[in-house]
Amino acid sequence: MALAPLELKQMGAQHLGIIWNDGHQSLFNVRNLRLKCRCANCVDEWTREKILKDETVPLDVKPRRIESVGRYALKVDWSDGHDTGIYTFEHLRAHCECPLCKPR
Amino acid sequence: MFFKSKSNQLTTESVLKQLSQVQDPDLRKDIVSLGFIKNLKIEGSKVSFQVELTTPACPVKEQLKEQCKEVVKSLEGVSEVDVEMTANVRSSATQSNRISLPSVRNVIAVASGKGGVGKSTVTINLAMALASEGARVGLLDADIYGPSIPLMMGTLHEKPESRDKRVIPIEREGVKMMSMGYLIPEGEPVVWRGPMVHGALTQFLSQVEWGELDYLLIDMPPGTGDAQLTISQSAPLSGAIIVTTPQEVSLIDARKGLKMFQNVKVPILGVVENMSGFVCGHCHEVTQVFRKGGGEKMAAEMGVSILGSIPLDPQIAETSDSGNPIVVSQPQSEIAKGYKKIARDMAAKLSVMSLENSGQFKPVTMEWQ
Repeated sequence: MALAPLELKQMGAQHLGIIWNDGHQSLFNVRNLRLKCRCANCVDEWTREKILKDETVPLDVKPRRIESVGRYALKVDWSDGHDTGIYTFEHLRAHCECPLCKPR
Repeated sequence: MFFKSKSNQLTTESVLKQLSQVQDPDLRKDIVSLGFIKNLKIEGSKVSFQVELTTPACPVKEQLKEQCKEVVKSLEGVSEVDVEMTANVRSSATQSNRISLPSVRNVIAVASGKGGVGKSTVTINLAMALASEGARVGLLDADIYGPSIPLMMGTLHEKPESRDKRVIPIEREGVKMMSMGYLIPEGEPVVWRGPMVHGALTQFLSQVEWGELDYLLIDMPPGTGDAQLTISQSAPLSGAIIVTTPQEVSLIDARKGLKMFQNVKVPILGVVENMSGFVCGHCHEVTQVFRKGGGEKMAAEMGVSILGSIPLDPQIAETSDSGNPIVVSQPQSEIAKGYKKIARDMAAKLSVMSLENSGQFKPVTMEWQ
């Protein structure tokens, strides 16, 4: 079965939880997610250089709305007005910040 | 079973027990536990029931019917068995946040990557093949710049009506159709940028009165651009079929088309190799005009299955140009049979997917507090 999220959960003011269909539970700091946006406004399509200046993103940035796109990704509408970022399930899972995936 | 006691009366249980020996070869389960047996009636020595399959285009419909008859007839005290084959197509259409088509059970994109490989011809004949088996079928022409469905379906001059801001699709042989070709004057080009294409496709999916459909086939334009992205992001796709001709120059694009669907996690139902050899009308010798076996090779390489191949035949072009798809105008031809087999295999795949739940996908949404 293809990897897919079953549920999105707000964990406090700054964390997003994702429960996956294989049972794994991911945790993300939402500002980190915003800074890792790979859309064409944030990363140069040709050179892959990051265009987004981290310092321009408010410290308390948070999602307004998150929804799935097709059967492969999530789209986030951010409180700083940015809404062109699409996060594929694979990319999210690969960058999971839960204590199991990213031990400190 | 030589010593059946005389008190061994014909019961629902004994009939069901017999029927549970019959397996659905695609779903690999017996038809009783699959819940296929409906309206079982025993009147004296006469047994009647319905077998409700997961698609009217079941590849083994006749075989199952015979098996059912046979096993029930072998029961003591049965003189007559009346089996009716029916179907209730299961839904494998995913839901979508953007466009929901709750009355459409399966949405299938037919794509190729390269233009001119016969996508529309294949799509139309598959639609007709499914409809001829009794399925409720819709056909959406997603080629905004080069719509060919109206001509090939003999509906070039029809104009769709609208009712309560919903467009009523054009209908032919029970197949409901929508195409840009119905909306613009004949011969006029559509000169649009991408966002307009996106808008038109979204409307075709959301504002057309498709009604209850078992299968909605989407005839995709060539390429991997705006239209493909809109369909794979917004339409609740169950799966995709890739059409290619056997030669490398077509395969190279078909691979990309296939890869695109894999990237966006749309299940690939299989590959159809079109223009697969030319059969001489006089000596019946097969000439491999575009080389041989390319479709199979690609399917194997990319780990997907081949649904079938359709040869190059002047009859196909003739029937398409005159608006009489070969499956309808020459249903007994080898080519029509080939299309029907592909349609049945595709339907069987979708049934398996929906029963195994692997085709299901539920969208998620959340509002941050």
